[in-house]
Amino acid sequence: MGKTVLDLKNFNVTYLNKHQRVHAVKNASFKINKGDSLGLVGESGSGKSTLAMALLRLLPLKTTEISGAANFIGKDLVKLSEKELRKIRWKELSAVFQKSMNSFSPVHKIGTQVEDIYRVHEPGAKKKEIFEKFSYLLELVKLSDRVYSSYPHELSGGMLQRVSIAVSLINDPELLVMDEATTALDVVTQGEILDEVVKMEKELDMTRIMITHDMSVVATSCNKVAVIYAGELMEVGLVKDVLKNPLHPYTKGLLNSFPSLKGKNKELQGISGFLPDLSKKYAGCIFSSRCEHVMDICKKQKPKQVEEEGRLLNCHLYGGGN
Amino acid sequence: MIETILNDKQLFFGILGIIFLLSVFALAPVIAPQNPYNYGPDILNGIGENGHLLGTNKMGQDIFSMIIYGARTSLQVAVISALISGLIGIIIGGIAGFFGGIVDEILSEIINIFMMLPTFFLILLIISLFGNSIYNVMIVIGLTTWPRNAKLMRGEALSLRERTFVKAATAMGENKPQLLFKYIIPNGLFPVIANTTVGMANAILTEASLSFLGLGDPNIISWGQMIYEGKSYLTSAWWIAFFAGIAIVITVTIFYLLGDGLNHVMNPKHSVGKGV
Amino acid sequence: MKRYIGKRVLTGIITILIVFSINFVIINIAPGDPVKTLMGQETDDPELRAALEEKYGLDEPLPVQYLTYLKNALKGDLGISIIYNRPVIKMITEKLSATILLVLTSAILSLLIGTIMGIIAARKEDSIIDLIFSGFSYILNSVPSFWLGLLFIILFSTVLKILPTYGMTNVRTSYTGLAYVWDVIKHMVLPVSTLVLIQIPLYFRIAKSSVLQVINEDFILTLRATGMREKKIFNKYVFKNAILPTVTTFGISLAYLITGVVLIEIVFAWPGTGRLVLTAINQRDYPTLMGIYLIMSVSIAVMMMIIDILYAMLDPRIRY
Repeated sequence: MGKTVLDLKNFNVTYLNKHQRVHAVKNASFKINKGDSLGLVGESGSGKSTLAMALLRLLPLKTTEISGAANFIGKDLVKLSEKELRKIRWKELSAVFQKSMNSFSPVHKIGTQVEDIYRVHEPGAKKKEIFEKFSYLLELVKLSDRVYSSYPHELSGGMLQRVSIAVSLINDPELLVMDEATTALDVVTQGEILDEVVKMEKELDMTRIMITHDMSVVATSCNKVAVIYAGELMEVGLVKDVLKNPLHPYTKGLLNSFPSLKGKNKELQGISGFLPDLSKKYAGCIFSSRCEHVMDICKKQKPKQVEEEGRLLNCHLYGGGN
Repeated sequence: MIETILNDKQLFFGILGIIFLLSVFALAPVIAPQNPYNYGPDILNGIGENGHLLGTNKMGQDIFSMIIYGARTSLQVAVISALISGLIGIIIGGIAGFFGGIVDEILSEIINIFMMLPTFFLILLIISLFGNSIYNVMIVIGLTTWPRNAKLMRGEALSLRERTFVKAATAMGENKPQLLFKYIIPNGLFPVIANTTVGMANAILTEASLSFLGLGDPNIISWGQMIYEGKSYLTSAWWIAFFAGIAIVITVTIFYLLGDGLNHVMNPKHSVGKGV
Repeated sequence: MKRYIGKRVLTGIITILIVFSINFVIINIAPGDPVKTLMGQETDDPELRAALEEKYGLDEPLPVQYLTYLKNALKGDLGISIIYNRPVIKMITEKLSATILLVLTSAILSLLIGTIMGIIAARKEDSIIDLIFSGFSYILNSVPSFWLGLLFIILFSTVLKILPTYGMTNVRTSYTGLAYVWDVIKHMVLPVSTLVLIQIPLYFRIAKSSVLQVINEDFILTLRATGMREKKIFNKYVFKNAILPTVTTFGISLAYLITGVVLIEIVFAWPGTGRLVLTAINQRDYPTLMGIYLIMSVSIAVMMMIIDILYAMLDPRIRY
């Protein structure tokens, strides 16, 4: 295993409303090593995007509260000042966001935007140098360098998402966060892009967090997976372990609600019930109200994170206690 | 319903204001201390003189009473012209959006062209040729301000005709005019109504401007007429023009508040609980 | 792009034709016969009647009359003012420069002031400044322009006697050179202020709402994530995106000003087309009124066309 790129410890994100505090992410802890690709999976509203946006420090200061530690190559992302943050933005930590159609200014050419972005960290860079660097990245995502002099509206959604990926890599970041980066695309394009990302990763030695609600995206493009439910991590482990043999009841439920990855036609099942109201405090396990294996203790006490079969689990069923 | 009204300040004050204006409209003879159509015995009183709260004009007409009665004129102009303009706009826009294709292309182009014409001057021209009765003013304002309503109705009709209930009705064999008048127009009416309140405000301003040019109905008391008349006495009796203007500002603001409030109700942009 | 311009010019031409047609229809359906309308209700001169009938071919069928009318109008012959016995087009062009001076000055000033206010309000949304600007703009939106002008006159002729309240120059003196320019500027302050105040809400609203909309776009989030400075994000990316709607607003504002300036000219006795309109109304001088209507409509149509084409050139998304 390579060195640790991101070490998350008891990471919390709380939204402050006029009337209430919404605990969007609670006590999240996991590690990502160099070369890893972690899939962060959960239903919509589970807090996965919030976690990503909080790591990128892009949530509005006035209405959010972040606590805990996020050690990113020796710096704590939670405590960095705006100035220190600006130094690592994009250069060390970059991102691809969900809505590809709106990820570029519609009235500026792609090239202009790329130049401005590159010059944030390399103010003296020449146009030609940037163009050459970007052309190489465009090639990696299978686009012609004509894109450089195009306006965003002249490209399709899939092309724009490829451009976004190329832009995110322009400064060779240590860590790339992809927030539902392929969700808005059709299945074929999505598959192609994921293939390219995996190939690129080998070439560029990238480390990546992939935020998605789609287990098949995780299966095809990640080596680690973290399952998040109602703001809390349920199970974290290697994709090959977790997908083949999920231990947490929630992970099992989530996998059952997707078509089998190996082509066996099992009957699809959803998980009954709804996400709990995150503005309330719960004494027990957050999943207990929907869990099939619920026990008395689940309603009274929060499970501690335990390690079992090479993965981290938050469940009273494991850890030997009960 | 009540909660929506209380939650939106603009809607709340707009509705409150309209209730106020309608009360003034209905109770004018009770509120007004004198009948402003009668000339008083006292010539040109200042503010508060001889029991005239806001003074009188040179013919002894009580300004406060004139303002109360002027509300009647303004509201009549607003409502009747808005009805005419709304009706034309709804029919033309409804047809354009519902039938689509070449009909829509031609009607849309016509709507766009009419939106570019200088409405106020056209009204001025027609009124000066056809005579300046208050009814002419109402009708002409109505006839010249429909394009915005038409544009809104067209947009609504375009999206409504793709909706399931309209398709279902088509499948059940309802003919086109039935569809248009039974489903499309009633369901697309709300944005036009919201826009109509703005149209009413503009109608009041237009009537006042016409009066200011001497094209008002001389047999009727209107705020615009009062300003027109007061123009000659700005330095000696400023109150004649001043309070009439205040009345216009308040009334027009009320209509704008109502219009904005209704628009908020239609597209509530600020949804609560963003994120998570 | 060429196709778009072609299409837009065609619409412009159709608009102008419709304006002429409306005018023609009005002449023909107005109470009394068309000659009376053109000649003035009070005059009845058989010679003049015969001359007009021949000129407009009034004994011909309506379609022929229409063509004759169009031909005359397109040649710039807008008829003769009976009251002054002069060609209408001449009377209007004489007064045009004074009007254009007011229109352009106030158009540019209101564009600048309103837009800057809108941007400030959007950047400090919900602050005291935003509340004051928004409230101010909301009320101004309801104020009749001519009444605002009258308020200025009340204020400046009775209390603050520092600015002239009527005319374009001081008639008692005959300034030349810089002194003349200064005199005109002083006379312009009140009418221009009135027009600017009335126009501010238009620009304020559009600038504020489009800045607010743009700063919530996804690409702004991306740019923030790149570590780009807020100042650069705003000055380059937010600004160019948010300013586009203002271009269209400028057209709407000019169109309003071209007709709205009439009222303000009358209030401040400014020697432009406004005075012409007022006397024409009072004297029932219909050819002059119609001529002014035609010229206004044509200039609005042409101007809107230019604005639309300009917008298409600025916004890369419009390509037909």
